[in-house]
Amino acid sequence: MSFLTPLALLSALIVGPLIVAMYLLKLRREERRVSSTFLWQRMVRDVEANAPWQRLRRNWLLFLQLLLLLFLAIALARPFFLTTGISGRNLIIIIDRSASMAATDVPPSRLEAARRQAQTLVEQLPEGGRATIIAIGGQMDVLAASTTDRRQMYDAIRSITLNAGGRSDLSQALALATALSAREPDSEIAIISDGNVEIPADIRVPATVRYFPVGQRAENVAISAMALQPGPAGQTLFVQATSYAPAPVSRRLDLYLDGALFNAYELNFGSDGAANAVQTVIVDIPAQVRVAEARLSAAPNSDFLPSDDRAWAVSQTGAGTEVRIVGPGNRFLETALSLLPGITATKTTTPTVAGDAGPQITIFDRVTPDVLPPGNLLFIAPMRSTTLFSVTGIVDFPLLRPAPIVIEGQAPPLLRNVSVSEVNVLRAMRIETGIWARTLVEGDGSPMLLAGEREGRRIVILAFALQDSDLPLQVAFPLLISNIIGYLAPGSGLEASQIAPGQPLVMAVDPAVTAVRVVRPDGRVDAAQIQGGQAIYVDADALGPYLVEQVRGDQVVEQRRFAINLFMPEESRIAPASELRVPQVSGLQQAVTREQVGRQEIWRWLAAVAILIVIIEWLVYQRNSLTYLRQRIRLALAARRRAA
Amino acid sequence: MTTTSSQPLFDSAFLRKLDRLALLTRRAMVGDIQGERRSPRRGSSVEFADFRPYVRGDDIRQIDWNLYARMERFFLKLFVAEEELTIHLLVDNSASMDWGDPHKLTYARRLAAAFGYVALSTLDRVTVTAFAAGAGAQLRAVRGKAGALPLFAFLQRLQPGSAGDLADACKRYARTAINPGPLILCSDLLDPRWEDALRALGSRPFEITLLHILAPQELRPQLDGDFRLLDVETGEAVEITADLETLQRYQDHLREWREAIEHFCHGRGITYVQVDTAQPVEEFILTMLRRRGVFR
Repeated sequence: MSFLTPLALLSALIVGPLIVAMYLLKLRREERRVSSTFLWQRMVRDVEANAPWQRLRRNWLLFLQLLLLLFLAIALARPFFLTTGISGRNLIIIIDRSASMAATDVPPSRLEAARRQAQTLVEQLPEGGRATIIAIGGQMDVLAASTTDRRQMYDAIRSITLNAGGRSDLSQALALATALSAREPDSEIAIISDGNVEIPADIRVPATVRYFPVGQRAENVAISAMALQPGPAGQTLFVQATSYAPAPVSRRLDLYLDGALFNAYELNFGSDGAANAVQTVIVDIPAQVRVAEARLSAAPNSDFLPSDDRAWAVSQTGAGTEVRIVGPGNRFLETALSLLPGITATKTTTPTVAGDAGPQITIFDRVTPDVLPPGNLLFIAPMRSTTLFSVTGIVDFPLLRPAPIVIEGQAPPLLRNVSVSEVNVLRAMRIETGIWARTLVEGDGSPMLLAGEREGRRIVILAFALQDSDLPLQVAFPLLISNIIGYLAPGSGLEASQIAPGQPLVMAVDPAVTAVRVVRPDGRVDAAQIQGGQAIYVDADALGPYLVEQVRGDQVVEQRRFAINLFMPEESRIAPASELRVPQVSGLQQAVTREQVGRQEIWRWLAAVAILIVIIEWLVYQRNSLTYLRQRIRLALAARRRAA
Repeated sequence: MTTTSSQPLFDSAFLRKLDRLALLTRRAMVGDIQGERRSPRRGSSVEFADFRPYVRGDDIRQIDWNLYARMERFFLKLFVAEEELTIHLLVDNSASMDWGDPHKLTYARRLAAAFGYVALSTLDRVTVTAFAAGAGAQLRAVRGKAGALPLFAFLQRLQPGSAGDLADACKRYARTAINPGPLILCSDLLDPRWEDALRALGSRPFEITLLHILAPQELRPQLDGDFRLLDVETGEAVEITADLETLQRYQDHLREWREAIEHFCHGRGITYVQVDTAQPVEEFILTMLRRRGVFR
C-alpha cells in the first residue's frame, strides 16, 4: 500500500495530541460538595470490582476519536494498492461486443465480464479523469465521449449489448483513440476483449495501450456453413461444422426440416487446425422443404458459444433475377452469369424503350442507350456520355490498383475476394462522374470501377471492355461479376438468402407492392420500409429464418425467405488471446496487460469506516439518552402488557 | 443550602393543629413524677389495676373495705399510676445535615419542634440533644406548655457542627440518659456505623422512632458528567462519571441501604420513617406520621 499524499498523515500528528490535550483538560472533573460520599463510595467499590473495563470505558470516547482521526488522516493521504489497471487521466475504453463475447466460459458471459472490467477501470480513474467509451463489433459506437461524469460512464458501460453481426475491427476505434489521445498527454487506451480482433498494422498509437483479456476457454464447435440448393432429386442440403476446440470432440448434428426432425449425425472432430476439424454433411431432401435447420448438441460445459450451434438455410426455389445484356454479345459475361444461381440472362442488341416493368438489371456492354431503362444498370466500357457520366477520352495501359479509400477502410462488398492488381488492361475509357459514384479501382488517375446510387437505383461502371483486358481469364472475374450482380440485385441469389446478423434485409420490390411484412424467427411481424423500389429491413439482428412477404392490397404476392446465421469463423474461434500486438509510439509492440500500474484507491472505504466510527462515538456519547430510551420503551411495553 | 435560624419554626395555625395531636406509646413506661401517661407502677389514678394482700406498713387508706367485709381479710386496692414521660429528641446536626434543598437540618429542627411541642402539650418532659462535634448542645427536661418557648429557642439556635460520629454520640446518650422513654432520632444516618448507633440506642428501653431525613438531591441526584464529589464532613473525594447507568446503580444502592435500615429497625422494634425533605413538614407530620401511628 502506498499513499498519494503522504503529507496528509502529518495532520494526525498535529490533531492527535490536540485531541488528547483537550481530553485531559476535560478530565479535570467538576468538584461538587455532597452531604456524604457514603453511598457513592459503596457504589464506587462495586465499580472498581471490574475496574479495567471501567477505565477503558471512561476512555472510550478518546479511543474512538483517535481512531476516527487515524482513519480520516489515512483517507486524506489517499492510500492505494497497485493493481492491473490504468493510471492515466484520459482513459479510452474499447469494449468488444462482437459475437464471440457471447461465450459463456466466464459466467454469465464474456460481455458481462468485460462490462465489469470496464467499471473497475472507471473506478480506478483518478478524480477529474476523463473517459471515452467505445464499443466495437459491427458498427463502432462511441457511447461516452471524453466525459468526466462517472454516472454517464457507468450508463454507457451498462448500455453495451451484444452485437452478433460484424467483426470486431479495432482499426476505426484505434484511429479514433489515437486522435483523442494525441491531444491529451496522459492518455491510456484500455482494450477489453477476448482478443479476436483485427488490428491495423499501419497505426502507431501515441498512448499506452493496455489489453484486458476476457475469457478462458476455447471449446466451441460451430456450424460454419449451410446451404440449400436445387439438386437432382429435389434439393441438396449442405451443412459444414467446424471445431475450434483444442482437443478432438464429438457432437451430434440434428437436422430439422420445416420444424420436424429429419436426421441426426454423429460427428467426430479433430482438434482445431487439423484436417478433420471440419465435417461436412450433404444430404438430399425433398423439394418442398422451405426451411432447414441444423443444431449441434453438446454436453454441458463443453461448448461455450451457443449462438453458432444453430443455423438455418432457406429454399430458393422459385426466386430468380432477370438480367438483360445489351450489346454485341459477350461470351465471358454470359458464362459468368450462367454460373450464378437464380439468374436468368437475356440478350438483346438494342435497349428496349422504357415503359414496361423491365428486367431488374440491365447490362450495357460497350453500348450506350439514348434513354436509360428503369432498374439497376451496369455499364461496361461506355462509348459516350450519358446523363449519369461523361466519357472524356481514352486511357492506354492503365495500371489498376484499388482506390485509396478502399485500402484504408473495409473492403467494399464489390471487391470482396477480388484482387485487381494483377489485371492488365489494354485500353480504358476516361470517365468522369458526379459525386454519387465511388471509385473502387483506379488506373493512372482515372476511375476503372465505379459504383454508386443515383435516382433510386444502383449503377456500376466498368471503364474497360472485357475483351481489352485479361480480367476474364483471372479467378477474380466470376467473383467480381457475382459481387456486382449481388450489389445490383440485392436480396437475390443464393448468397443473398444468407445474411450476416446486423446486416439489413434488402430486396427489390415491385412498385405496385403496398407493404412488406417481415416475420421474424420469434414470430413477431414487422413492417419493412419501402424506398425507391427496394424494401429495407434493418432490425434483422436475431439469428434464424426470416420470412418477407410482399403485400399488394390484402394479397400476398410474393414470399421470400432469408436466413441469418453466424457464419463467422473469426467469431466462432473463441479461444482468448492472451496478448494483443498494438504498435505504439513509445516503441512498445504489445499491449501491456500484467503490469501493475492501476491504482485502486481505498479512501472511500476508510471514509465509510470513519462515518461508522462517528456513529459509534455518538452512540457512546449519548448512552444516557439511549439507556433512558430503553427504560421508557421497557416501561411502555410493561404498561401495555399490564393493560392487556 | 444553609438556613436562616431566625425564621420561626411554625406559624400559630400549625401549632393549633399540633395541639390536637398526641404522641403514642406502645407500652407503659416509668416516669419520675405524676403525669398523664400510664405507668407500669401502681399509683393513684382512677383506673383499677389489681388487689394485693395488706402487709404491715401499707397505707391503710388504700384498704378496700368492701372486700374486707366479704373476706374478713385486708386487701389493698391498687390503681394504675399515671406518670409523665420523658421524650428524648435526638437531632443530628452534623455537617451532612447542613445540606440539601429543602435543607435537611431545618427540616430536622422543625420535626423535633413538632414532636417536642406535642409532647409538652401532653404534659410530658422533653429533652433535646444535638450531638454534632463542635456544636453539641442539650436542652434538659422542659415540661409543660411553658417549655415550648425555650424548646423552640433552643432549636432555632442550633447550629450545624462539623463532623459527627453518630455511633459514638448514640452510645454516649444511651449511657447517660435517665428515664428512657420515647426517643425520636432525626438523622440522615449517612455514617458507615449507623448500625452501631441504632444498636446502642436499642440497648436501653427507649421506644425509638427513627426519622430518616434525606434531601431530594440525595434521593434522586441530578448529575451528568464527570464529577469529583467532596464529602462535606470528611472532605473525602470520590470521582465518578455520572451517566444514567451510574445513577441507576446509585439508586439501587440507596434503595438497598434503606431496606437494610428498615429491616434492622423492624427486628428491634424501631419505628422507621423515611423522610423526603421535598415534602412539606406540616403535611408530613399531619398525614405521614399519623398514618405510621406515631401521632394520634
